[in-house]
Amino acid sequence: MPTDDLSPDLGTVLSLDNVPVELPLARVGSRVLAGVLDYFLLFLVLLAWSAGVLGLDMSLGLRPGWGIAVWLLGMFALEYGYFAAQEAAFDGRTVGKRVFGLRVVARDGAAAGTGALLVRNIVRSLDLLVGVLLMAIDPLSRRLGDRLAGTLVVHQRQASEELVVARLPPGWSAAETQLVESYLRRARELEPQARLALGRRLERWIDDRAPGFLPGLPGPDPLPRLWNGFRQESR
Amino acid sequence: MDYARFVALRRPLWESFERDATAARRRRDLSYADVEELALRYRQVLQDHAWARAHFPGTGAAQRLLRLAVLGGTVLQREDEGRFSLVRFFFSRFPAAVRASMPWIGVAAALFAVTALLGWAVAVYEPGVAVAVLGPRTIDGLEHGHLWTESLTTTVPPSFSSSAIATNNMSVAILAWAGGALFGLGSVWVAMFNGFILGAVFGVTARFSMAAELGTFVVAHGLLEITLILVCAGAGLGIGVAILRAGDLPRSITVPRAAREALVVLLGCLPWFLLLAIVEGFLSPSTELPFLWKALLGVALEVCFLTPIALGAIKEPDAAAEAAS
Repeated sequence: MPTDDLSPDLGTVLSLDNVPVELPLARVGSRVLAGVLDYFLLFLVLLAWSAGVLGLDMSLGLRPGWGIAVWLLGMFALEYGYFAAQEAAFDGRTVGKRVFGLRVVARDGAAAGTGALLVRNIVRSLDLLVGVLLMAIDPLSRRLGDRLAGTLVVHQRQASEELVVARLPPGWSAAETQLVESYLRRARELEPQARLALGRRLERWIDDRAPGFLPGLPGPDPLPRLWNGFRQESR
Repeated sequence: MDYARFVALRRPLWESFERDATAARRRRDLSYADVEELALRYRQVLQDHAWARAHFPGTGAAQRLLRLAVLGGTVLQREDEGRFSLVRFFFSRFPAAVRASMPWIGVAAALFAVTALLGWAVAVYEPGVAVAVLGPRTIDGLEHGHLWTESLTTTVPPSFSSSAIATNNMSVAILAWAGGALFGLGSVWVAMFNGFILGAVFGVTARFSMAAELGTFVVAHGLLEITLILVCAGAGLGIGVAILRAGDLPRSITVPRAAREALVVLLGCLPWFLLLAIVEGFLSPSTELPFLWKALLGVALEVCFLTPIALGAIKEPDAAAEAAS
């Protein structure tokens, strides 16, 4: 299917006042992970439904055939409704998408309408066959359902993944700022040795380029000094 | 302006916007003034986002502002769908969508008719096909004057068969619709396959002189059931054509538009399958109900389904004439 597009760049939408916003598109990997989790949960829901209907059938002593009739209709509704109902109720998110920080949005970055969410989920069974391949080769990572519905799936990053420094040496560029923010954000996740080695290099580099910017003298662990220097206040 | 000053000056705005936009997502009762106020702050956030993207790409502030820009987009902009009304849907939206798909429903019906004739001819003249289509046990039953539909009443309760029929038929309708996404091939396949099977089944029963019995069984539900499958296949074909046909607008606009229209057709058809399944499970297998009553019921169901569609077609030229005058 061709990928005709009216926006200036693929994945970039023009928001209010024509400000371009580059949507953080979710790629095939994270989408498959969310899908696997959702299908596992759907399996559990189907099991629970089956057990529930069986229990009711036995305890209420329904007339023959009614228990299985209700069970079948419920299985059908869950199979087709699990994804669509959640996405419609929770603004484009299923449990799997929530866990992996994904959200379905309209092609222009707006909230997707119920019609679009239904369309993209009706063709889900076909996407089980061709969806992964389509997502892998499409610049916008759309599966068949997304193309039909005019939707995209974007990353909804957590605020905790961001770190904004509050103080910088004069004249620092974006790359230098990014370097420090990246180190301070990742410091707690790094192996202690790597954290110390990287921190010492960064500390020396800053002391050479902006003497006196970092408070005090180098200690055994450079992190507190770097932290105080850049006065990181945000999350 | 340097980065630290930018962050210090603008952070309160970002924080208040994030807090209020997140709260607004959960609320459906925002006043016009609330939305306007939030939109004003969203514009400021967008300007900050554009500035950070240009001057400090990749920094924490740029990442945060991108997140807020996306958040604002999904909170303040929503595809307009209007207020949903069940009556308006079934008496106005659905009939109009079916009429719009009529050329493709016609194509699906033609394919169905041709393959039904083919299936009938093959089953009559090539007995081997009969065994392949219906299975040896069914053929054995037919040889002894028993239609396989008799087992519907003797082996399973009608509630169960109704439920199984409803889910099976709805799955076929959904497949016929969704198959349109494969350049219309799936819809064509469903129309042709079902036509062939129906023709072959009637051909086989005709060979054993039992076509009349089969007719009595299917007449109450079969007419509308086939109509519904063909309507859904026609809607699917409409999607396939939108994918294939090059027009003035890009496909990223025309395909979702066609799919949205076809969705109305599918959603309007699905409840009919539930009603038909009750007829097929409870009334069609009945040996007490005479053919005439079953035929009347079948025609009545078909008329009920088609009337709003036909009435809309009559109304439309009137409305156009009124608009012109």
